[in-house]
Parts: sequence; structure tokens; C-alpha cells
Amino acid sequence: MSEKIYALLLRLYPVHFRRTYSGEARLLLRDRLRDETGLYARMRLWLDLLRDLAVSLPGEHSALRPAIETAAGNTTGTPSFSVLDRPPLRRGALLFAALLSLIGTGAFVLLLNYEGIPPTSRLAQLAQRAQERPSIPSAATAASSPSGIPTAANAGDAAVASSAPSPVAPPQNPRHAGAPATMQIPAAPPIDAAERHRVIAAAAKDLRASYFDPKVGENTAAALLAREKNGDDNAATTGAAFAALLTTQMHDASHDMHLVVEYSQNKLPDGPPPQTPESRALFARAMHQQNCTFRKVEVLPHDIGYIKLDFFPDPSVCATTAIAAMAAVNHARVIVFDLRDNTGGFPAMVSLMASYLFDHPVYWYSPRSAPTEQSFTHSPVPGSLLADKPVYVLTSSRTWSGAEQFSYDLKMLHRATLVGETTHGGAHAGVFHRIDDHFGMGIPEQRPLNPYSDHDWEGVGVTPDVKVKSADALAVAQKLAQNRLATQPQ
Amino acid sequence: MPKRKLDPLPSAAFQILLSLADEDRHGYGIMRQVEEQSGGRVRLGPGTLYSSVQSLLEENFIEEVGAPGDDDAPNSERRRYYRLTAAGRKLARSEADRLADLLRVARARKIFRGDHV
Repeated sequence: MSEKIYALLLRLYPVHFRRTYSGEARLLLRDRLRDETGLYARMRLWLDLLRDLAVSLPGEHSALRPAIETAAGNTTGTPSFSVLDRPPLRRGALLFAALLSLIGTGAFVLLLNYEGIPPTSRLAQLAQRAQERPSIPSAATAASSPSGIPTAANAGDAAVASSAPSPVAPPQNPRHAGAPATMQIPAAPPIDAAERHRVIAAAAKDLRASYFDPKVGENTAAALLAREKNGDDNAATTGAAFAALLTTQMHDASHDMHLVVEYSQNKLPDGPPPQTPESRALFARAMHQQNCTFRKVEVLPHDIGYIKLDFFPDPSVCATTAIAAMAAVNHARVIVFDLRDNTGGFPAMVSLMASYLFDHPVYWYSPRSAPTEQSFTHSPVPGSLLADKPVYVLTSSRTWSGAEQFSYDLKMLHRATLVGETTHGGAHAGVFHRIDDHFGMGIPEQRPLNPYSDHDWEGVGVTPDVKVKSADALAVAQKLAQNRLATQPQ
Repeated sequence: MPKRKLDPLPSAAFQILLSLADEDRHGYGIMRQVEEQSGGRVRLGPGTLYSSVQSLLEENFIEEVGAPGDDDAPNSERRRYYRLTAAGRKLARSEADRLADLLRVARARKIFRGDHV
């Protein structure tokens, strides 16, 4: 015991001393322990040891400094690197340090995030987000979504189908927004067979009524009911587990990843909040403050019109800004659309921008809404000189949703050269259906025929014509445009 | 030769040099000898002992030698024995001379009560 304690105390000495003498010192102690027995002798021994530590420790540690000073002073003779050569850190020490810093960082992050409120489901977040935002009627029609709340499998999809996706109203932290509701329901209540049956019946009804492929909708609904009858759902006693189970069952039956059931511990809102002139004005002002996300509109050297747009904003608010932007580059010989940071937006704005680039109406394909008379560009745009100008679209892996539609359609129509990276790959979205206060589901309601290919860019992204790093895309596009202009008469 | 830690010679180092005057000893042997020659007043702790030993080794006042053959203790092969070098003996002698000079001065200044030293 004494020897172990002393071995620990020995660690206080510098490593070079320990290396050389710790074995000897322990031997010496062992000898003394053997020879000095009895209470008095032992107490004297420990007193000796402690006094020894107090006296010799400072000396040993300060002895390191003179060694370095000597080396520094030794400039005339041969170099003496060995004097400075301290033993490297042991692997164990490094591992321990790494572990300690990991634990420290982890604890810090946990503390930062801890708010003492149970997390809410993604569905509740989406629903709450939609409730917090002012929504615009024209957007709801554009997105062909009666309730206006998407349950997208990826967040970017929300940008196109949502009633009012807006970069000026970033996703609110649901834990803040939902705090009062959460407080009322401290723990998730278990669900029983009756509740399960109600949810399944409602889901089956919605599937039959709304899924874009009636046959698959019917089969999926039947599968849900059959699994329930079979007793497959009995094990799911919590809302979240039950929702996950139903989602899996629907995937098995339909192979559609956008068909989902979600559970929210908080009460789901009844629908989007009513529009008020104030909320609309607030939204419009915020958009205009951001210049409707037209980050840059300029004419670069060699008459290259350059538009950097980070979002396709609501035309009912931003049409004037968009028209002004297009007018500013009307006399350019080439147009470059920079969509590298564009996360999507309103289909109507996507189509409005594209209208400038054609001299006759063209079918503007959307993977989310069936063709209507709205599905054509409003070409030609009176006064536009851009219908026959070369177009370049800059893309990155962040280019998403509506921006991907703009890129994809222009590429398929051979109207633009895409320069940059393969885009993010968000094409589809389900439309939100409220089942009850805690359950909701996402159902893709429309899947129009793709005129260009069996598959759109869902999950795979839009492939650029010229693959370069997104950071280099503008320079490359400028070069391409210059070369092209050089072969053209003025 | 720089004598960083040994100039002036600390009493512990001097005691170690004296303890090695008649024979080679290992650490515990030095400690016991020092305790004996000081009348039990000085018990060198391991830290003090080995840091002094280290300094003395660095300055070549003592040297490490193998364990004597007649030591058949089971852990004898792990013990290091130390031997006084010629330089160490010279240093001990000059330190003793210095102390003797001091002692003479002390006597001359009549700080001793009797004549017993």
C-alpha cells in the first residue's frame, strides 16, 4: 500500500528523473519498509518522504531550465540537440488527452442544447413552421397544395411546395415555438388499439382519395388494413413507434419514399393561420429588404449579364424586382444565372424567369404538378432581347429543388449550358394530410409524366454539362462565354 | 566544468561523497551510511538522494558500478552501486578543508562554550 502511494507520488517528478531513478527509489522504500516497522518508525518514514518531496521536487523541475540555457549558450562548439531532446509524449497520454477533450466538447455541446423540453417530431416542426409564417394564396395554388404544408422527405423540398417558404423567415426553433404546447403534455401517452384503428382507417381513406396512382393507393391502403387485422401493429404502443411502423408498411407496399406517417407529441395545428393584410405586408417588407434574394445583377466584361439569385421568391411580392433584374441584363450578349446558393422557391417565379429565354411558350415540366395551362412559359416577354442569347446556369451541390427544376428544364430544352457540380437532388414532396391532433401523413398527390426521361433528378441531382468545382464555375462559364462570343459576329 | 547544482556543494551531496569514501554502496546503503555517520540526524529521502546522485554522476564525482559479486540478494541485479571517483575524493577533501577552515574561524571567534571540538 505504502509503496503504491509512493509510486503515485513519484509521478510528480520530471519524466527523465522518473525513467532513471523511480525503480531505485521504490527499491529503497521497500528496504526501509522492511527495516523500519512499528508505528513510530512508519510515521517517521512518511514524514521523511513528504519532506523529501517538498525539498527535491522544485530542484528537479528547475533543473530542466539550466539545461536548455546551456544549450542555447553553446554556439561555438558542435550543435548539441540532444540536450533539448525531451522524451516524446507517450501514446497513452495522447489518447487520454484526446478522450478528455472529446468528453469536454461533448458536455459543452450537450449543455448548449439542453433546454429541458422533449424534442418534437419533424412533422410538428414543419407544421409549426408553416403556422408561424405568413402564407400567400398564390403560392398555395402554385404548389397545388390545399393545406399548403408539405411533409417532404428532405427539408429542401419544403422550399417549393410549402405555402410560404421564405429565406427571410428561417425555420424557427420548434422547441421555442412549441414550448407552451409541450409544457401541457409532459410525456407521450401510450396509444391503444382503438386509436391505432382510427389512424389506420383515416390513412387508408386519404391514400385512396389522394395518392397520385389510384391503384397503388388502393393496394397500400389495403396492405395497412390487412397488417392491422393480422395483429402486426399490436406491439406499437407509442405514437412514434406506430408512425414509423405504418411508414415502413407503406414503403413496402408502394416503394414510394415520400409516403410517410408522422407522429407529433404536440397538438398539430388545424391548418395554416388565416392571412391578414399585416402578415402579408410584413412578409413583403422582409423580402424587399433582401432585394427578393437577387444578390447580384450586373453586366460583367464582354457584355456578360450576370444574375445571382439565392431563392425564387413569391412573384406576387417580387415580380417587380425580378422584371427589373431581367431588364438590367436585357442588352447583354450572354446571360449567366448563378444558382449555386439557390435552395428553390416558388414554381411561378421559376417559370416567370424562364419565360424571358424563349420566343414562344414552351412546356415547363414540374415533377410535382400535373400539366395545366399554367405549365407553359409566358413567352415571348414583350421587349425581351434574351430569347436567343446563350444562357449559362451555375450549379453546385447546394442547388436545390426549384433551382434544380430551372436547371433541369433549361438543360432538357437545350436552352442552357450547366456549369458546376451535380445538384442536390430534391424533386418530389408529399402533401400534408392531418389525421388527428397528433398524427399526420405525407402523400404525393401528383406525379406528372416526365417528357424527357423515366426519372427526374430526385435523389440523383441534375448533372451539369461542364463539370467543374462550384467555386470555379463562374470563371469557367465566363471563359466559355467569351470563346463563344469570339466566334460570333458582333 | 560547470558545477551548476554542486557549487556550493550541498550538504546532502557532501554526505553522499563521504559515505562512499570506504566502499561502493547502493542507494539504500548510502542512505543508511549517511544516517549512521550523521548520528541519525540526516536521513536522505529518495528524491533528495537520487537527485544528488544524478548531479554527482553528471559531474563525474561518482560513477556507477556493477553489483559486487558477493551480494546474493534476490534483487541485487537491479540495484546500482556507486563508487567515489578521484575527482569526487578531491572534491570531498577540498570541502572538508573548507569546513575545517570555517571551524578554525569559529573557534577563533570563540563561539564554542567548551573545548570539546
